[in-house]
Amino acid sequence: MKKQFFHLWLLFFMGFLLMSYSEEKRLHIIIQPQFSSERVAENTWYVTENNDSIQFSKLRFYLTNFEIEKKDGTRYSIPDSNFLVDVFSEETLQLKFPDVSYAKGDELLFNIGVEKEMNTAGALAGALDPSNGMYWSWQSGYINFKLEGKSPSCASRKNKFQFHIGGYTAPYETTKRVHFILNAPNEPITLPLQIDAFFKNIQLKDEYQIMIPGEKASVIAATLPKLFSVNE
Amino acid sequence: MNRIKTYSICFVGIFICCGFAVIQHKEVLFDYPEYWPKPAYDFSKLSMTEEEFQLGRHLFYDPILSRDNTISCASCHLQATGFTHVDHDLSHGIDGNIGTRNSMTLMNLAWSTSFMWDGGVNHIEVQALAPITSEDEMDNSLEAIVEKLNASEKYKTLFYRVHNDSVVTGQKTLLALTQFVVMLNSYNSKYDKYIRNEAGGEFTAQEKNGLELFRTNCASCHKEPLFTSQDFKNIGLAVDTTLNDFGRMGITANKSDSLKFKVPTLRNIQFTSPYMHDGRFETLQEVLQHYTTGIQQSNTLAPELKNDILLTPNERVDLLVFLRTLSDTDFLFNKRFNYPNNY
Ligand code: HEC
Ligand code: HEC
Repeated sequence: MKKQFFHLWLLFFMGFLLMSYSEEKRLHIIIQPQFSSERVAENTWYVTENNDSIQFSKLRFYLTNFEIEKKDGTRYSIPDSNFLVDVFSEETLQLKFPDVSYAKGDELLFNIGVEKEMNTAGALAGALDPSNGMYWSWQSGYINFKLEGKSPSCASRKNKFQFHIGGYTAPYETTKRVHFILNAPNEPITLPLQIDAFFKNIQLKDEYQIMIPGEKASVIAATLPKLFSVNE
Repeated sequence: MNRIKTYSICFVGIFICCGFAVIQHKEVLFDYPEYWPKPAYDFSKLSMTEEEFQLGRHLFYDPILSRDNTISCASCHLQATGFTHVDHDLSHGIDGNIGTRNSMTLMNLAWSTSFMWDGGVNHIEVQALAPITSEDEMDNSLEAIVEKLNASEKYKTLFYRVHNDSVVTGQKTLLALTQFVVMLNSYNSKYDKYIRNEAGGEFTAQEKNGLELFRTNCASCHKEPLFTSQDFKNIGLAVDTTLNDFGRMGITANKSDSLKFKVPTLRNIQFTSPYMHDGRFETLQEVLQHYTTGIQQSNTLAPELKNDILLTPNERVDLLVFLRTLSDTDFLFNKRFNYPNNY
């Protein structure tokens, strides 16, 4: 009897040793939304670089098609890795990949937004279910990034601004493939989201509503990778 | 020992349940003439079961899909008129609101590569989102519908029969509607029987001549056997300045698409009046009048219509007589497609 237990312990111990020797870590990302250096909250005033006072009521976006590139160049795409992040819903800021491990120095790739293939694939499930309020109806396709709020600078009704950024057809694609190297010393990995960067090139006085795919949306989409401090 | 026994009993139980459920599902067959092209639609997300078809049929006829439970899909798409709205040039929806376009016929949709007069919808499974969310049609949201359906014992049962799971999702709702509308196929008109050399398909001299005229003047766009090429064309209709609808350009933002609209099928055309995207013509005579003498020149006018279509009065009659051979009473009165009374 005792002997059996001993074997079990040995097994555990060896497993433990193995785990601590290999550099493999479980992939877990936490998105940290901030404005300048403040944590972003709903209905709180912030001031942009262009001196517009603003408040946010909605900030939701898709991060999809995650993939790991090992240092030796081999790639592994993580199946069904599609997340709808709602900045004001704490649990959606945690991107957990329970079955995915990586080593320090590996590269993580993903899309900000939803790729063309999934925009033309009909009714999908889970994060991509059209009942999540991130799908256009009169012109099929996902809203990749939705930011709404108000600012006294906007001449709109109730001073509202609404940016619904999406569109998958050339030349106005809005989905961005980005990547960064997984060498953060801490776990889980924090991915800062600098929302102030969104307003760098926007004069809210003139531009406060984009609700359709097209040139304007694609110009804004081009700035999204900067929000995440990742590379295109 | 005892434990193993209970487990195995459970196992057998589950097995029997599964078997039972699978046996219960009845397949629906997607039939079409073998000389037709292959459907464009990929059926892989549908269960192709009688249960999903019936669920979709219930949803199609149920005003539960609209904000105030007044408007169903069938309010604007009536079976007896080829699933379009008769007597209304622009479709009527919630609160008596009037939309900006004429309702479309629903048939042979599995062959369509885009949907709506401007092709703004790229896939049939997401088409229903347009009427559901339009303020003039059902003024609702898929989120709200899913919530309503999840609170309905009837629908929880119907969804359970399809998925062995009573939880309603947006995807499952859209797929069920798709399972119904994609089965609305019309291929038993007199014209079809003529092509197949079947009884009831004997064409008169007039009908034969009408078919010839059709092939010369119309079939490049209204392509057989579906009577649409799926293209977008400007057929030289004068712009209605109260609507200013520029069609395809509204989707592509490309000037060269100005005033182009989807080529509609002409099957069952005898019953689908009024005609065109804004329902401007009441009769097929008016439509022919347009093609022969009413075409407005513009940069984007279809090349096929640059030269006048010349038809003698007799030829017009023959063409109209031919168009009537596209009526398919098997389809228009198919009991499987009508209001679900007893399911
Ligand atoms: C208020 C009237 C109205 C209601 C209600 C309505 N539709 Fe429609 N339907 C229309 C109109 C109008 C069009 C053409 C729209 C356009 O081109 O913008 C259309 C187009 C369509 C098409 C595209 C056909 C094609 O060949 O491209 C389908 C499919 C369809 N409807 C299905 C449905 C379904 C399913 C429902 C219920 C969820 C529904 N409709 C509810 C009026 C309506
Ligand atoms: C250049 C392509 C083209 C040709 C050629 C053409 N059509 Fe059309 N047809 C269309 C388009 C596009 C529409 C829809 C136009 C709109 O609503 O703006 C249409 C609409 C119609 C409609 C109304 C259908 C409905 O459901 O509202 C009828 C009927 C029709 N055509 C008959 C004919 C006949 C008969 C001919 C030959 C004399 C013909 N067409 C030739 C492209 C064409």
